[in-house]
Amino acid sequence: MAMTDRLSAPELPIVHRRRWGAWLLGAVALVVVVTIVHAAIRARIVNLGVFADYIFDPLIVMGAVNALMLGTLALFIATIIGFIAALMRVSGNPILVAISATYVYLFRGTPMLIQLIFWFNAVPIMFPSITISLPFMAEPLVSTPTTSLVTPFLAALAGLSLAEGAYMSEIIRAGILAVDKGQRAAATALGMTQRQVLAQVVIPQAGRIIIPAAGNQYIMLLKSSSLASAIGYLELLRVATDIYSSNFQVVELLAVAAFWYLVMTAFATAIQTVLEKVFPQR
Amino acid sequence: MSTAPEQTPAVSVVGVSKKWAAVSAFTDVSFDVPQGEVVALLGPSGAGKSTLLRCVNHLETISAGRIYVHGDLIGYRLGDQALYELSDAEISRQRQKIGMVFQHFNLFKHMTALQNVMSGPVHVLQRPKAQATALAMDLLDKVGLKAKADAYPSELSGGQQQRVAIARALAMQPRVLLLDEPTSALDPELAQEVVETIRKLAEEGQTMLIATHDMGIARDVADRVIFMEGGRIAEDARSKDFFTAPKSDRAR
Ligand SMILES: Nc1ncnc2c1ncn2[C@@H]1O[C@H](COP(=O)(O)OP(=O)(O)O)[C@@H](O)[C@H]1O
Ligand SMILES: [Mg+2]
Repeated sequence: MAMTDRLSAPELPIVHRRRWGAWLLGAVALVVVVTIVHAAIRARIVNLGVFADYIFDPLIVMGAVNALMLGTLALFIATIIGFIAALMRVSGNPILVAISATYVYLFRGTPMLIQLIFWFNAVPIMFPSITISLPFMAEPLVSTPTTSLVTPFLAALAGLSLAEGAYMSEIIRAGILAVDKGQRAAATALGMTQRQVLAQVVIPQAGRIIIPAAGNQYIMLLKSSSLASAIGYLELLRVATDIYSSNFQVVELLAVAAFWYLVMTAFATAIQTVLEKVFPQR
Repeated sequence: MSTAPEQTPAVSVVGVSKKWAAVSAFTDVSFDVPQGEVVALLGPSGAGKSTLLRCVNHLETISAGRIYVHGDLIGYRLGDQALYELSDAEISRQRQKIGMVFQHFNLFKHMTALQNVMSGPVHVLQRPKAQATALAMDLLDKVGLKAKADAYPSELSGGQQQRVAIARALAMQPRVLLLDEPTSALDPELAQEVVETIRKLAEEGQTMLIATHDMGIARDVADRVIFMEGGRIAEDARSKDFFTAPKSDRAR
């Protein structure tokens, strides 16, 4: 019978269903992309000669390095601020919770650009001069007008760190809460102090959990460093703007800046990928 | 197991009550656990078994009464007017000698089985790594999991995870081991391997207080059964008496 024939047939090959729909969609998407790129090239939006002239321009490279430094430093400071704010938020102490929640609300709820310009302008007005004096000494140790201390770099770093710290605190808080209460109870029952529970059990796991989100924030920060151009910090966008305002090669210089932002993003992505490999999720 | 009457009880629960704002877990509970005895804490869900165990190592505060482990007042200092709660560091020191095993194992997920077992000696007792490793390997061997030393919890079955959790608690050489439904999250066969491990500890004279629904543990491993219901002790009997002639209706 047919049935027994089929059963006795040796090793029949297995044919899986083709995803024709997906292939068709892919082809359509490719056509659209090629059309747009072709139109852009034909219109000569970017003069590749000018682009090549400026891509390794020392000023541009310095701007890129400054942007990378600003973004990276801000990420570190934001992580520390965010960690403290997150601990306050989960502490259960109503005063600390309120302070932390207010901080997050204010700094996440206002545009970063406003915050940057604010720090650049407001701090010297709030504290016209900074004086560090030791007790029992007539003359202050240090006394300088604040304007000479609040450079564009410091104002940008403070602004980005504080704003980003608010986002990081929420990310870190979610990471801490993702470590289940049971593990904390087990560590406590072993005789660990609350500090040890945090150091040995919560932070190692929360740290791993937040890597993808933190990587995302790092990329955002690297790009947000361009906001510092508004207060005169010589980062990538500011340098590019300064150059095109004298030679009018606007699109080329924006393309040069975009290229370097893409390089930075690739760098951040690489770090994230390596961290995820080195610390696999258990 | 018979013990000399003058010996300090391993655990002494004296008139302890626990209540939250609106709910009361149990009221005026008292019992002693002599050293070397295995007590099964039975009772319907919500009877307050877990809460009672968590009070013994001060994972929960108590509302009234006193709890002693080997003569130490747990969680509080006796003052003139009141019991004053101890500091985090002082309570942590008391907990070092009170082991705990949880229904859902609660292994540290970022550590291997070996690292889990070593975590107490290394981080709490500051023992040298080599010494802690040797002790942890012995304990893993004892619970039959030496071969799994380098496995992460996610790579172990429930029964294996629970046996690692028992080894982790034993690494602190606890005077008393508190087990909160150690087999409830396990399939019957896996539960059996955990029961065997607990039985072995009982034979070695490890004092244990075990909240459980597992009749195998209560009947065959425990010396004594405390049956809780409605926030009180309904019956406190030798295990064999409890199962041949229960006095309370619910225990039946
Ligand atoms: N944190 C808490 N706040 C309020 N009520 C609680 C809390 N934990 C447990 N309870 C209540 O205390 C009672 C005893 O719970 P539990 O000790 O878990 O019982 P068992 O372990 O015997 O099932 C239950 O009614 C439970 O709802
Ligand atoms: Mg329970």
